[in-house]
Amino acid sequence: MIETENLVKVFKEGNIRAVDGLTISIRKGEIYALIGANGSGKTTTVNMMTGALAPTSGRIIVLGFEMPRQRRLVSGRIGVAPQEYSLYPDLTLEQNARFFARLYGMNPQDFRRRFNELNEILRLRGREHSLVSNLSGGMKRRASIECALLHEPEVVFFDEATVGIDPVLRAFLWDYFRTLRSNGLTILLTSHVMDEAGKADRIGLVRAGKLVEEGEPEELMTRHNVHSIEEVFLKLSGNEVSDA
Amino acid sequence: MLFAMPAVVMLIFGFALGGQVSNVPILVDNQDAGYSANLGTAGVSLHAGNQILASLQTDSTVTVTTGSYSTGRANVDSGTYFAAILIPSNFSQTVLMRAQGRNVTASILVYIDGTKPTIAAGVIGALQSAVQNSSGIKGFSVVQQYAYGGVKFSGLDVSLPSVTAFVLTFLVLLISLLTVSRETTSGTLPRLYTTPLTAVERLLGYTLSLLVVGIMMVVVVLVVGIGLFGAVVRGDTLLLFSAAILYALSQVLLAVFLSNFARNEFQAVQLAPLIGFPSMALSGMLVPISSLPAWIQPFCRLIPMYYANQLFEGIMLKGYDMGALAFDFAIVGVMAVLFLVLAMSTVKDRIDA
Repeated sequence: MIETENLVKVFKEGNIRAVDGLTISIRKGEIYALIGANGSGKTTTVNMMTGALAPTSGRIIVLGFEMPRQRRLVSGRIGVAPQEYSLYPDLTLEQNARFFARLYGMNPQDFRRRFNELNEILRLRGREHSLVSNLSGGMKRRASIECALLHEPEVVFFDEATVGIDPVLRAFLWDYFRTLRSNGLTILLTSHVMDEAGKADRIGLVRAGKLVEEGEPEELMTRHNVHSIEEVFLKLSGNEVSDA
Repeated sequence: MLFAMPAVVMLIFGFALGGQVSNVPILVDNQDAGYSANLGTAGVSLHAGNQILASLQTDSTVTVTTGSYSTGRANVDSGTYFAAILIPSNFSQTVLMRAQGRNVTASILVYIDGTKPTIAAGVIGALQSAVQNSSGIKGFSVVQQYAYGGVKFSGLDVSLPSVTAFVLTFLVLLISLLTVSRETTSGTLPRLYTTPLTAVERLLGYTLSLLVVGIMMVVVVLVVGIGLFGAVVRGDTLLLFSAAILYALSQVLLAVFLSNFARNEFQAVQLAPLIGFPSMALSGMLVPISSLPAWIQPFCRLIPMYYANQLFEGIMLKGYDMGALAFDFAIVGVMAVLFLVLAMSTVKDRIDA
């Protein structure tokens, strides 16, 4: 579903090599966690995969289409919940949802059905007419996820979707991600919270824009003879703070 | 920007507002036949008309063309001249008769554009000086007739067109710049890049929604000015709104183009006065174009607000129809197309575009 080949991104400002030869392959119906410290290139990678950023070199294939060149052909089939909430604070939850639904070409009936369904699942019922600026951080996060799922995409990108929320909500969201996966959705999520990685089907550990390790959680822990993904990461990074 | 903006604004205002009313085009019809009379024991021959004309021709306030008064009136109506002056055939005779103690008053007739009080005052002042300098003539009158139905406009009447143009320039620019740049700072733009929305569609959305805002502003300005304060609108209201919509569209497109270069709302906010204040100074809103230094005047024709002033003054104060304003409409339309092309060529569809 998602493939990258020697993906490189160099930002001109500061000549920063944010992504450095990243090659990954994500299968259909898989939850893939791209884990790394702050500044390791996770968000840059997601932005390139979704077509919001052009790579300096390398190749990205999403649902069989090359990104960003063929972005128009695939954008209606992917959903994105960016790192920022990326919602209009002066609009209500419903107004935000309807706006993004229209961008994806949803008709009013489908929107209403899907909006009510997701409000129930994401526990946002009763807040449809609240301004986004008045929602709590956790509600904004769920609202952002809702806007990414309204149009029933085949692939969803969650960039730091579970960061900064309470453990109960985080557990709830992971249960929901697994439900989505069981319905055939492919999920790529990023996080710098290492212990979350254990909940994914496969993990990619990135450091300074490079993929330093990849595999199933148990497999990685066994391979490195440790008891947590955080220990795997620390072992691979040599306990050094990344320059990224 | 913090230093450049005030420096640029002050330089423009300093150069623009440093002058006085000058080079106002007028037509003079000198029909004075001259007269000879005895004053006491001396014989006096006076040709006041020639003296007045000669004095006006050396006055930098005005640029004099001679011709017929009737032609001059028509040209004042069309905007070619600012005033047409008639020195009657019996002017010198009446002056000398008054000097002999007769109860008569020599009059000069002035048909004048009343839409610019500053310029009108300058022209009348130049005429009065010319008459007084002519053989020390006293006790004359200047009979003023105003073009455009003989209406003498109030301060609000003459300022409302410029205020309308300024609102559509400054406020539309400011709100448009803030709205579009806020898309970047609020984080919604990266999400929009991942949707099927194209950059052109996004540009169109900004343009249409901000155009509605601009039109609402025009409605408020006109309702307050006309409805509350009774300002004059001599022309067609529909034509006025058409001009306002076209000009608002050009400013919205300019704002969308400029917003591509503003990295944040702080920069966006500074762009509005950087455009708005020089527009005030160079569009004829504050001072007549003819009063500006000669080297600045060609640049005034490049200011969009100059044409907005021409349109709104023409419609509201002079009752011009589409035919008389076709050129100004065309220029504003060309500017709108230019800004549209610039906006489309610079609008981003990716984070790093």
